[in-house]
Amino acid sequence: MMLALLTLWLLSVLIFLGGHLLPGNVGRAMLGPLADQAAVDVLNHEMGTDRPLLVQYLDWIAGFLTGDLGQSYAYRSPVAPFLMTALLNSAKLAAVAFVLVVPLGILGGVVAALYRGRAADRILSVVGLSATVVPEFVSGIVLILIFGIWLRWFPISATWVDGAGPLTQLYHLILPAIPLVLILFGYIARMARAGMIEALDADYTRTAVLKGLSYPKVIWRHVLRNALLPTISVIATQTVYLIGGLVVIEILFHYQGIGSLIYTAAKKKDFPMLQAGVMSIGALFALTTFLADLLYARLNPRIRFGGRE
Amino acid sequence: MTINHRLLDILRRGRSPHENHLIDGLVRGAFSRREFLRYGSVLGLSAPLLGGITSAVGFGLAPSMARAGTPGGTIRYGQIVPAAAVNPVTVADGGGLTVLSQFGETLVFSAPDLSAQPLLAESWAPNADGTVWTFKLRQNVKFHNGKVMTADDVVATFDRLSDPEMGSNALSVFTGVLSKGGTRKVDDYTVEFHLDAANGSFPYAVSTDNYNSIIIPAEFPEDFEATMVGTGPFKLEKYTPKVGASFVRNTDYWGPAPLPDRVEATFYGDYQPQILALQGGAIDVIQQLPVLQAVALLNDPNFTIISTPSSAHQQVHMRTDMDPFKDKRVRQAVALTLDRPKIIAGLMRGKAQIGNDSPFMPAFPSTNPSVPQRQQDIAQAKQLMEAAGVGAGFQTTLTTEKYLEIPDYAVLIQNAVKEIGIDLQLNIMDQGTYYGDAVFGKSPWLDSSMGISDYGHRGVPNLFLQAPLMSGGPWNSAHFNNAEYDALVKGFVASLDLESQRATAGQIQTLLLDETPLIQAYFYDFLTVTKAGATGVVPTAMGHLMLGQASL
Repeated sequence: MMLALLTLWLLSVLIFLGGHLLPGNVGRAMLGPLADQAAVDVLNHEMGTDRPLLVQYLDWIAGFLTGDLGQSYAYRSPVAPFLMTALLNSAKLAAVAFVLVVPLGILGGVVAALYRGRAADRILSVVGLSATVVPEFVSGIVLILIFGIWLRWFPISATWVDGAGPLTQLYHLILPAIPLVLILFGYIARMARAGMIEALDADYTRTAVLKGLSYPKVIWRHVLRNALLPTISVIATQTVYLIGGLVVIEILFHYQGIGSLIYTAAKKKDFPMLQAGVMSIGALFALTTFLADLLYARLNPRIRFGGRE
Repeated sequence: MTINHRLLDILRRGRSPHENHLIDGLVRGAFSRREFLRYGSVLGLSAPLLGGITSAVGFGLAPSMARAGTPGGTIRYGQIVPAAAVNPVTVADGGGLTVLSQFGETLVFSAPDLSAQPLLAESWAPNADGTVWTFKLRQNVKFHNGKVMTADDVVATFDRLSDPEMGSNALSVFTGVLSKGGTRKVDDYTVEFHLDAANGSFPYAVSTDNYNSIIIPAEFPEDFEATMVGTGPFKLEKYTPKVGASFVRNTDYWGPAPLPDRVEATFYGDYQPQILALQGGAIDVIQQLPVLQAVALLNDPNFTIISTPSSAHQQVHMRTDMDPFKDKRVRQAVALTLDRPKIIAGLMRGKAQIGNDSPFMPAFPSTNPSVPQRQQDIAQAKQLMEAAGVGAGFQTTLTTEKYLEIPDYAVLIQNAVKEIGIDLQLNIMDQGTYYGDAVFGKSPWLDSSMGISDYGHRGVPNLFLQAPLMSGGPWNSAHFNNAEYDALVKGFVASLDLESQRATAGQIQTLLLDETPLIQAYFYDFLTVTKAGATGVVPTAMGHLMLGQASL
């Protein structure tokens, strides 16, 4: 826990320094290269960006610790509502992709391992690998062309009209979720397959089979439980990618998520927005890693009882 | 062409010397009907009067633009997301401007043909030396909050914009032109602008050419984005930062009743999603597409491309104060290597006008057409290099930004100058890095020995002639320092009649061709895309999208 907090603090220093080391100043970035210097100076003074870096940092961190994320330089209004909307949107898209890809990926890996070396295994591996290497902007555009423009089955924009129900929201999110499923499917399936093969070859599996347990029971009780441990940590790290790393998908499908929020904030030198965005992703990373550890322990008694040995 | 002198004499009555001078020029054939209309509009001659004069001189009447659209419906358009808060005082980006143009209006409309047309001002006229301009306001204009627009609102608007304490983006237009306190109320519907220096094209400074000059109520609301009070054909319905905005018909509009019931703006981070959205039927209009992006739509019968010539260009500078471009012959040689018609056809798909290494693009009426166009001439370029003592060539760096077609243009230049032995290294950086702090010593834009920078559209060349070229100008990346040039430009800006403007322009164009601190190879068109069959969509090359008379 202490380690996570220390990491977050280091992250805050890095992002603050990194942002300010880039050339150009905030007022200039807001008003553009052709604005009058007087206007830039006034703006910098209003936003407090003409103060020493340390003062700015202390001011920001003090606000952050008391729950005040500050004012966006670009939009001149509090950061928090922007951040909340973006996080919520990202979480929704990630959830749809997650629900689709995790069972599919694990199922694919299990099937491939059970039919190791045979046609099903080969096909799953090749398809999974090929899908992983297709960048999301390529698969995204192809999907939009086919399902959005020719067939018109799905909306092109992931943004729904205000007040839309959960089903409409889901309908809007299916198309943008597919490129993510394509990218992650191969990865998760490969991890699951490797884990499965290792577990299938293990002595305890042979013992279980020899003691007369039914095949499904062997797979469910003994193999899967051990096979999925590495897969869980992979999924945990990918969750953060699914929420924070989707700049391309968000721009292509016109969706207001945390990825594009951070991207535009960095481009516009909107530091309060950028810092809040990166810190929330950092916190999310710490949280998912923590949850994955808990789940890992739940599945692996060796860790759960490790302390007693 | 027969001239009706009796009618002309009647029309001349009460005209100022400048106006009569302009009429003389038309009668003598010194400029065309189109140029006469445009410049007459700047001087404040009314449209019926201008029409009367041109027909008295024997020109036909101006063709009517009217084509009735059907009222009703919602127009959905896509645009680039505003980069900052939509505040008329500070807006500095095209995205913000496009939103302003939905609900706000300026005194003067700088039309796509570069003429100044009345919008919230009914008429305007300069005093004898062009230092005071008097504007008559429309009397039946109501703000969206129900208040009647008067001179007080106009004075407050321009005092705010010319106040250095307000962080106004309009300072780049008003510095040296209009100071705080220079805008004075004469009566409720008359305003005088007392300028810092004589200016023959001042109406453009309070037109749609100036991002920030929409008229807003004197009591500027603290939270402007929540209300967006203006005078335009549409009123704000809902604004969601970063996502979009919707507007509804203003039933109290002073002008022709707006046709659409609603206008919906959707903000995009990039152009590609807008093209997909248009193809998929999610939007009806794309406010602007760069040529490179529009290629896919250029020949598609489902869409109509509105191509508006603009003075926007990619400006190549060469530092005149240091090697390797200190010798003007080297600069001339570089400019002579470019095959401009080929660049326009290949790089810009024909959607550009040729440039002659000065800001005077062909469409400006003040441009002097007698100055010969610079053409590719490798032999002469080689001779010039030889004469300058660098016949063997040299190596140098072209620094520029990743923006629109600029990187491709840089490669074309790199290949062109290879012919005369110049080995050009390209240093292409992101826009923020390139402009840096935008002051000398802290900006690759202003410090590099050679660079390419993007310049947006202006209705008159004044700004292009001053900041990037006058000695000590804040954007003078060529470090050009020429007293003769400075004097010529001062004369050009102050001059009130088209003939003397054009004479001075000829001298400026010739001087710049000789010195070649900058290369302006082409001026690109501004492309707006609509669904086929849409009518009444009026874009400007600044980035406005006027949908009051639009129908699908």
